[in-house]
Amino acid sequence: MNTVKVLQVCVCVLILGQFLVSGAVPLDCKDDAGSRCASISQEKLLDRVIQHAELIYRVSEECCTLFEDMFVPYPLHVLINQAGNTCHSKHIPIPTSKSEIQQISDSWLLHSVLFLVQSWMEPLLYLQTTLDRYDDAPNALLSKTKWVSDKLLSLEQGVVVLIRKMLDEGIMASSTIFDHTQSPYDGQFPEVLESVIRDYHLLTCFKKDTHKMETFLKLLKCRQSNKLSCLPQ
Amino acid sequence: MAHSLSLRLLYLGLMCGKGLVFAQGSELFSQASDANKGPHLTGCRSSEQVTFRCWWSSGTFQNLSEPGALRIFYQTKALSSDWYECPDYTQTVKNECYFNKTFTRIWTSYCIQLRSVPQNTTYDEACFTVENIVYPDPPVGLNWTLLNVSRSGLHFDVLVRWTPPPSADVKTGWMSLVYQLQYRVKNNTYWEMQELESGTQQSIYGLHTDKEYEVRVRCKMSAFNNFGEFSDSVFLQVAQIPSKESTFPMALVLSFILIGVVILLIFIVISQQQRLMVIFLPPIPAPKIKGIDPELLKNGKLDQLDSLLSSHDMYKPDFYHEDPWVEFIQLDIDDPADKKNSDTQHLLGLSHSGSSHNLNLKNDDDSGRASCYDPEIPDPEDLASLLHNHSEQGEHQHSLVSRSSSANPDFQQESEVVETPIQTQPSWVNMDFYAQVSDFTPAGEVMLSPGQLNTSPEKKKKEEENEKKIQFQLVSDGAYTSETTARQFSADVPSSPGPEQEYQAFPTQGVEGNLWNGDYLVSVNDSQTPYLLLEPPPAPVLPPISDYTVAEPPSKSSFIAAYGLSAQPR
Repeated sequence: MNTVKVLQVCVCVLILGQFLVSGAVPLDCKDDAGSRCASISQEKLLDRVIQHAELIYRVSEECCTLFEDMFVPYPLHVLINQAGNTCHSKHIPIPTSKSEIQQISDSWLLHSVLFLVQSWMEPLLYLQTTLDRYDDAPNALLSKTKWVSDKLLSLEQGVVVLIRKMLDEGIMASSTIFDHTQSPYDGQFPEVLESVIRDYHLLTCFKKDTHKMETFLKLLKCRQSNKLSCLPQ
Repeated sequence: MAHSLSLRLLYLGLMCGKGLVFAQGSELFSQASDANKGPHLTGCRSSEQVTFRCWWSSGTFQNLSEPGALRIFYQTKALSSDWYECPDYTQTVKNECYFNKTFTRIWTSYCIQLRSVPQNTTYDEACFTVENIVYPDPPVGLNWTLLNVSRSGLHFDVLVRWTPPPSADVKTGWMSLVYQLQYRVKNNTYWEMQELESGTQQSIYGLHTDKEYEVRVRCKMSAFNNFGEFSDSVFLQVAQIPSKESTFPMALVLSFILIGVVILLIFIVISQQQRLMVIFLPPIPAPKIKGIDPELLKNGKLDQLDSLLSSHDMYKPDFYHEDPWVEFIQLDIDDPADKKNSDTQHLLGLSHSGSSHNLNLKNDDDSGRASCYDPEIPDPEDLASLLHNHSEQGEHQHSLVSRSSSANPDFQQESEVVETPIQTQPSWVNMDFYAQVSDFTPAGEVMLSPGQLNTSPEKKKKEEENEKKIQFQLVSDGAYTSETTARQFSADVPSSPGPEQEYQAFPTQGVEGNLWNGDYLVSVNDSQTPYLLLEPPPAPVLPPISDYTVAEPPSKSSFIAAYGLSAQPR
C-alpha cells in the first residue's frame, strides 16, 4: 500500500516537475510580448472567470433538475444523497468549511479550482454520450451538457492565465493528468438503472463542484479587491 | 420506453425492500404533521452556509417526548463511516440539534438519523448536503423613497431598498443572494411579485395614491430554490395631491392663449380693414367722380352738382388744349353719303385736320368705367369735344358728356372723366358743364346751346346753373335718360337744340346702336346710377337745357343717322 502510494506521488511529482521545468505554456496566446492576444487587466479577467463559473453552475443545476424530473423518481433522491460522498473529486483535498477556506492561500484556491475544472473534463464528455442513449432525454438537457462542456474548457484557460499572472507560475492547461487515476468510466455502458443512478450521481456531483468553484473564485476576488474586509471573521 | 418501464419495476422493488428509507417524498423532510406519525425529523436548515440545525418531533409517541429519549446521529461519509451524535443539543429550543462551524462541511453529504437509543431503533433518516439546505435569513433595513408622482396625481413610483441579512456573508462572496420583492394593497390577499433582483434595491411603478401598500422582501441563494423567510413588511402610502393644482395652470394658460389669439385676430382685422373689406365686401362699382359724392349725383341739387362738376379737377384743360375737338369724332369714312354733306365735310375736315385719331369708345364691361377717348381734344374753336377718356386705368371713370367750348381755354375746362391722370387743374367754373349742340354753322362749327357764340363758344358758367337745372329737368323728363350698362359711353346724344348750342363729343368708332347712349346724366329724381345713357331722343330737348349736350345732326344725313344723332328740333 505504501509503496503504491509512494510510487503515485513520485509519478505526480515527476510529471508536474517536468512541466514546471520546461515551463511549457501550451496556450496559443503569448504573454505580454506577443501581440496576438488582446490584453486585459487581471481584475477584469477574474471577473470574467467568475462569470463563467456562475453560469456553469447555473446550467449544471438546470441539467440536474431536468434529469431529475425526467428519469429519477422520488425515492432515488435520498439514495443519491447518500451516495453523494463518492464524488470522484473527493480525492482532491479541498477544504470544505468556511473557516478552513478562508485560511488557505490564494494560490491554493486557484489550484483547487483548476483541479476541479480539469477533473470534470472527461466525465462531461462521458455524460454527453450516455445521455444520448436515453430514449426520451430532453433536447435541452443534451444541449446544456454540451454547452457546459465547452464552457468548462474556456474556464480552464482563464484559470490557467490567472495562475500565471497572479502566481507567476507556469502550468499546463490539460486535463490528461487525472484520466488514469480518477476516471471510473472505462467505456462500458452499464445497464439502465445503473446508468440512471450513475448519471444522476454525476450530475449532482458536478453541480456541487461547480458551486465550489464559484465560491472559491468569489472569495479570491474579495481578497484581491479588498484584503481587509475579507479576513476571516 | 422499455428502459423507463423496467426502471419503474425496479423502483417498486426497491421501495418494498428498503422500507422507511425510501418512503420519503421529494423533500428531504416530510412536512406533513400526521398525528399518527411516529418520531421524525422535521427539518434541517442552515442560514448562512456555515452552521446548520436539525429539529425533530416525537410525534405520537408521547413516551419519547422527554428530552434525551430521542437522539440525533450524523454521518459524513466523506470523512468516515462512523455515526456521531449531535454535537450540541440546543438548550433553549426543544428538539433541536445544532452543528457549529467546526462540524459543518459544505459540499459534503450528511446523513442524519433520529434514534431512540434505549430501543436502538431508527425512526427517521435524512441525507443532504449543506448548501442544499441553506435558507437565508430575511433582509433587513427595508425602506422606500418616492420616485415621482404622475401628473394626474393618481399614480406614483417608489424605490425600495434593503440590506442583506447580517448573517449572510455576502461581502466576501461566500454567499450570492438574490432577492424577491412582493407588495400588495393592504389587507388584500394577493401579493404582487417582482422579478428576482440581485441588487439590494428595486423600483415599483404604477402604485395608486391614496392606497396603503405593504411591501416585503425575501432572498435565496442564487441557483438554489430555497427561499428564506420574508422580511418585516413596510407600509407606504402617498396622499393624493388635489389634481386641480395641476390642471388649474393648464386651464389658465389655455385661456390666456385663446384671448391672445382673439386679440391678434381683432388687431389683424382692424389693421387690414380696408383690404378685408375689399375681399369680403367687394364694393359695388359706383360712378365715382373724385370729390363728388355719388349720392349727390343721385339726389343732389342742380347747382351743387354744377359747381362740383365744374370745379372738378378731372377735367383737364390741357386735355383738350391743343387738339382739335373733332378728333374725338369718329367718322364713318366708308359711307359715301357722309362725305357729301357739307356739314359732314366740315366735320370730316375737322376730323382730318387733326390726326386721324380715332376716338375709341371702349366698351368695357366695367360699369364704373368710362371708356375714354384719346386725350386729343379737337379744336376748341369747334364743337365741344367729347369728354371721354381713354384711360383704362381701372378707375372709376365717368364718361361724362360735357360740353366743350370751342375756345381753347375752354377746353381746359372740358369735363372729362373722373380720375384721369391727364386731367389738369380744373377751371370749369365758368363753363357750362353740359351743352347742347343746337346747330351746325356753315363754317362747320357746332353750335352749342345755350347761349354760346357761334364761332368760339365759350363755356361760361353763368348759365351753367340754369342749364344744369334745365338739364336736370330734362333728365327728369326722361327723354334723354336711360340707364347705362357697364359700357362706357362717350357720345352725347344730341338733345334739344338751342340757339346757341354747343357740340358735344360724339362717340367714336364702333358705332353701335347704343353708342349714343353714353351720356351720364344724373336725374334728380332718378334712382338710377349716375351712369345714365342718353338715347337719341326722338324728340328734341328743350333749348334752355344747355348743360346737356346733345349732338344734333343738322340734317338728316346718313352720317348723322349712322351715328344716331338725334335731330334737334329747331
